[in-house]
Amino acid sequence: MSATITALQRKLETDSAAYQTLQKDYAKAVESRQRLDSQLQENKLVQDEFKLLKDDANIYKLIGPVLTKQDKVEAVTNVDKRIDFIQAEIERVEKQLNDLQEKTEKKRMELVQTQTALQQQSAKN
Amino acid sequence: MAQQKIELQDLDLQQLVEVKKQLEEELSHLTSSFGQLKQAQNRFADCIESCKSVDASNKDKTILVPLTSSLYVPGKLANVEKVIVDIGTGYYVEKTTEDAIKFYNRKVDFVKENLDKIQATVAQKQGNLRSLVDMMQYKMQIQQQEQKAAVKA
Repeated sequence: MSATITALQRKLETDSAAYQTLQKDYAKAVESRQRLDSQLQENKLVQDEFKLLKDDANIYKLIGPVLTKQDKVEAVTNVDKRIDFIQAEIERVEKQLNDLQEKTEKKRMELVQTQTALQQQSAKN
Repeated sequence: MAQQKIELQDLDLQQLVEVKKQLEEELSHLTSSFGQLKQAQNRFADCIESCKSVDASNKDKTILVPLTSSLYVPGKLANVEKVIVDIGTGYYVEKTTEDAIKFYNRKVDFVKENLDKIQATVAQKQGNLRSLVDMMQYKMQIQQQEQKAAVKA
């Protein structure tokens, strides 16, 4: 077995390992994107509900097992802030997703290249 | 979605099998979401029923309050005007029973809208799956005929 073939094989191994990690990372990012989306939805529903409430409505927040009374203004700003935060997070994960997709595509091309090179080499011998 | 533009005829059997697997996965995901939504809808409907029983005719009646699913303590229905409603993300709001019923009705409608959407998507995907399976059978037949012809020749 020639040295080039062993080298190519080693490269193929490391590349495919890297490719698999990238894929795993991508799946993880997709998952967190979905989780953020459902959180955003839920918070938006709460926000809509707050809009329907009178200003003197009694709002409680669940802290541990206890319901504590909260000011409406405070609760509204809290939810607004949460929505802003979640939207920023979504943007960040979106970027991460694009980045990962690019990287995965690149790795895939590399893998294909190494594979064809390997095939050519073994055909020669 | 770009996949739908590809003609089924242009795919070979193996690709069709792949697409079929993907479609089936999507379908099972959608049906399980549908079931979950249905459950949520039922829960909201139950809440409406419960709100309805909190009315003036039941004031001061004794009730059993569940502390856990198997432990109850006796209580008296002192206040029939107000209930506290969980509106999500840990926030609870005090509402009159009528408002609470309205709130749950809104929720039921909201869930129903989504249920309809999912149902439409499921129907569409099932249609896709059916034409895909038809195409697979067609291709398989052709393959068999080709094989037979090859054997004869």
